[in-house]
Amino acid sequence: MKTVVIGVIGADVHAVGNKIIDHVLTEYGFNVVNIGVLSSQEDFINAAIETNAKAILVSSLYGHGEMDCKYLRENCDEAGLGHVKLYVGGNIVVGKQDFKEVEQRFKKMGFDRVYPPGTNIEDAVKDLREDLGE
Amino acid sequence: MIQNKKIPWEDFLKKREQILTHWETGSSPLLDLDKAVDRLKNMPDHKNFAKKLRKAKAEGITMIQPRAGVALLDQHIELMQFLEKHGEADFLPSTIDSYTRQNRYQNAQDGIKESERLGRSLLNGFPAVNYGVEGCMKVVDNINVPIQARHGTPDARLLTEIIHAAGWTSNEGGGISYNIPYAKNIGLEDTLRYWQYCDRLVGYYAEQGIELNREPYGPLTGTLVPPSISHTVAIIESILAAEQGVKNITVGYGQGGNVVQDIAALQTLDELTNYYLKLFGYNDVFVTTVFHQWMGGFPADEAKSMGVISLASTVATLGKATKMITKSPHESQGVPTKEANAEGLRASKIITRLLREQKFPSSKELKEEKEMIKKEVNALIYAILNVGKGDLAQGVIKGFARGLIDIPFAPSEMNAGKILPARDDQGKIRILEFGNLAFDEDIKTFHRERLEKRAKLENREVSFQMTIDDVYAVSQGTLVGKPRQKGVSA
Repeated sequence: MKTVVIGVIGADVHAVGNKIIDHVLTEYGFNVVNIGVLSSQEDFINAAIETNAKAILVSSLYGHGEMDCKYLRENCDEAGLGHVKLYVGGNIVVGKQDFKEVEQRFKKMGFDRVYPPGTNIEDAVKDLREDLGE
Repeated sequence: MIQNKKIPWEDFLKKREQILTHWETGSSPLLDLDKAVDRLKNMPDHKNFAKKLRKAKAEGITMIQPRAGVALLDQHIELMQFLEKHGEADFLPSTIDSYTRQNRYQNAQDGIKESERLGRSLLNGFPAVNYGVEGCMKVVDNINVPIQARHGTPDARLLTEIIHAAGWTSNEGGGISYNIPYAKNIGLEDTLRYWQYCDRLVGYYAEQGIELNREPYGPLTGTLVPPSISHTVAIIESILAAEQGVKNITVGYGQGGNVVQDIAALQTLDELTNYYLKLFGYNDVFVTTVFHQWMGGFPADEAKSMGVISLASTVATLGKATKMITKSPHESQGVPTKEANAEGLRASKIITRLLREQKFPSSKELKEEKEMIKKEVNALIYAILNVGKGDLAQGVIKGFARGLIDIPFAPSEMNAGKILPARDDQGKIRILEFGNLAFDEDIKTFHRERLEKRAKLENREVSFQMTIDDVYAVSQGTLVGKPRQKGVSA
């Protein structure tokens, strides 16, 4: 069973999607470690270390994602989590921006997968299987 | 031990000294209470939230107000002016950024700097504490309608001091409604105290002859919240505020989606809040209602979003809401541009005006929904009072701990999180898992029967999958979530 860490980063309290992602990924056979809302980069990293997670799925729904996710890749690498995949999704920037551009911005920050608003979690399941192997 | 008791003024002043040290702007000479009283007394009536609400209710008009706020002061003022002029907003907001909501003023300061550097707002709202009384005064001095702080701040004491001293005449929030949906592990005892403080300040101004408006946050998690649950919170917060001397309260409700249930909710919200305030001996509180346009996920398509906004405006006006909080066609993408925000406002406005004289006819169905909401609210309030041995504040703390009242999808650990809502066959919000909610068997049976009806129609069991389908339904163009196959994108 592959372990993934999920949570909502920064000062964000959007809990609904988080609870649903937890439910759906569990149903698809992942071992879900849910650190919930209001989680710092440190919380994500500690949870991934403690549980030997293969991927970190960062949710951000309130617009501050760009600031909250800065250096997450570098901090993961420094903590010995270079092998851990980083996904991010939600409303990750302030306002309506061209998603292609936003995706590039976050990929440059070291994220492996970047999802636009309104993505079905099932799409991420497909990517997880591809990235982590069955 | 916290109780629903008015804070003695000396205790308040002692606490106040401490609060004003939480950030450097707390040392402004304009936070002198006599200066603040002078400033508020000099606010013209058309900029007083409480007075304009009284007028709206008397005239039977549904007023409109957007959400909006950006990181930089000059841009924020521009935004406010734009929404007043091009959005025809009757009331202005200042949505406060999420760092400020968590009292992370240093993060907010960094956000201001980054925004200045990049020339675009990296914050999702206006960091009012960082700009202090002086900055907030500049905002209100450059607009012509009343302005309110809208946020989601568990501890908003410094923010509250600053905005009122600056001449902002309304504040949203409450010890439950700005805790359970907005925090992870802050105790209810703490947030009830924080909001008693905010209300006591408003009560003090009332004693000086200044009427300020307070608004408990109605929609809570904004996700399939049954009306009786949000009503119960609104009523309790109104009583707690009234005890501290608040005289002008706006109770809120977030659009559920079924028109009859929403109108029943609006009518009962007004009736029940007035009833309970009087029952507890607060006879001179002026109550108005606010309807929030759909708080869940919006369709990505802007025209369809405008449709959702229009439906909401129809319900709010026919339900006689005094005020409505509007959304924009950019809602699915997050924070809107000022143009999109103004479009949402104008679409809303025309509907409130076209329907102004019209009435929603009474019906058996409407009466039944109203009766159910009243029955449920009475059951919840009775249970909370009972467990608090007659004290409402104690009842809230113990009631949440035991799950007697429970809010779906809330992030807070103070919330039991055991109940699950879902829509019935007509899209009315019902409950499928009750947890420890203080409902009797009659009420539970009613909910179960309605959900069974839908399950039968859809040829599936009543389950959490229904809830999930309902959460995403509106963004995908239906109210009642249709079953979808696993692994297939809808």
